[in-house]
Amino acid sequence: MPRGICPRKLPAWLAATALLVLVPGAALAAPGGTVVGLFGGCFIESGGGRSAAKIGQSVAVGDTVEVPTDGKLKLRLSDGSVVSVAAGTRMTLTTVGVDSGGQRQDVHLSLAQGLLRAVVAPVERPASFEVDTAVGTAAVRSTDWFVEGSATAMQVGVLSGSVEMTSAATKRHETIPARWGARLEAGRDPVPPRVWSKAEFDAVIARTDVK
Amino acid sequence: MLAIGVGFLVAMGAFARDAAAYTAAGDRLFAATVVLPQISPGDEFYLWGSTQPFAGGNWLTEFNGTYMKTITENLGIVMQDTWTRFTQSGGAKPLYGWLNFDTELKYLAVNDQAHEFLLSFGLDHEWGGTGAARAGAFASGATTPRLYFGKGLGDLDIGYLRPLAITGLLGYQIADKTPRPDLVTPGFVVEYSIPYLQSKVESLPLPEVIRSLTPMTEVSFTVPAGKSFGARTNILICPGISYAGQGYEFLVEALVPASKATAAGTGVVAMVHFSLDYLFPDTIGRPLFSQR
Repeated sequence: MPRGICPRKLPAWLAATALLVLVPGAALAAPGGTVVGLFGGCFIESGGGRSAAKIGQSVAVGDTVEVPTDGKLKLRLSDGSVVSVAAGTRMTLTTVGVDSGGQRQDVHLSLAQGLLRAVVAPVERPASFEVDTAVGTAAVRSTDWFVEGSATAMQVGVLSGSVEMTSAATKRHETIPARWGARLEAGRDPVPPRVWSKAEFDAVIARTDVK
Repeated sequence: MLAIGVGFLVAMGAFARDAAAYTAAGDRLFAATVVLPQISPGDEFYLWGSTQPFAGGNWLTEFNGTYMKTITENLGIVMQDTWTRFTQSGGAKPLYGWLNFDTELKYLAVNDQAHEFLLSFGLDHEWGGTGAARAGAFASGATTPRLYFGKGLGDLDIGYLRPLAITGLLGYQIADKTPRPDLVTPGFVVEYSIPYLQSKVESLPLPEVIRSLTPMTEVSFTVPAGKSFGARTNILICPGISYAGQGYEFLVEALVPASKATAAGTGVVAMVHFSLDYLFPDTIGRPLFSQR
């Protein structure tokens, strides 16, 4: 018997341990973030269920955020990064790993469809923040940027910092600096980046602006 | 001999070639050019050098430095100068020195991303008397209004020809004073972008270095308008290849004369180009008055 465990509480310990071992979902339900902005009817899919999103609601690792065509949603992740989700977007919090001080270790989001704006919290040591789409991956350290994905293409625009976009098919990557953007089409190399116009940034800012 | 050499340089209508750099319309990136000026403003710095044989066993060697700065997203200024050395046969002393300082104000008027089309206007001025007369620099300046265009064929349903693009310009150089001639200065570029092929048409299993290449040919004309004052028509055909890295490009071209007045034989030009807006996006790569 482990030291410090009261014999009378042993059944509860065993039950809790069994729950963690037998129900993987319970072990994965780590806090990923919190809904801090909401417009329209958005949903959180969790453990096979689907519920309407609410301000202040926790979103766990493994949960999927679904924003309909008339909605917008803003999440504050556990590492302090803020993700604004545009209308028509479906995104899953694959991994949100932070250390005891709240510093990011590893964040992975999966963007099935739609547009995100991510203001990524700075960290003192190397730590990844990645968004996977059907056609590639965008990885950053500390930046304010946009990523839009679909089954056939993705594009990244960067307001500050830099983003590395990698093709899932060819493994070729492009580094996209501030004020620049680039596209990636399924099965191909990334298009070399170019300066984005103010109108292009204004469009994605408006789509992800959650009051 | 000195007078003959200088007269030869002047009669050729001055060599001050503008350097150029990439610019984009949607997913189309037009590669850097070296013989013709670029087609829109940007934040760039580049250097090129060239050498070419001329009649009588003479050689012309030039080095150019160009700095481009955006004032707003669509408006920019170009500053450049060229150092030239004309090596004469028969033991005569070489003629060398700086050509006239040159500036250009450039405005991007149309950027149709869907159709990969650009249209820009430029107003170039060569500042007379700022260069060395012995090297062929004119005592008087000249002003050249220019119309630039760029068109990628990526919006057309033409398969593996979609990476093709055509850029060009039409300029009319107006001399400040006689005896300097006025000149018509058109030119065009045909290029086939392998990065475009790989990213927009089909990703072929090509070696890494090939994926970054853009074969291209520049064609430049210099035609006297009105009284020529000894200037003759020059036609230069420049096949070459551009390699694009992240934030830089390297370009090598042959300089093939297509008229007797242009040169006596084939020369070569090489350029290295840095995209300051890519390498330093938060400092010197930003427009002076940016809306973002």
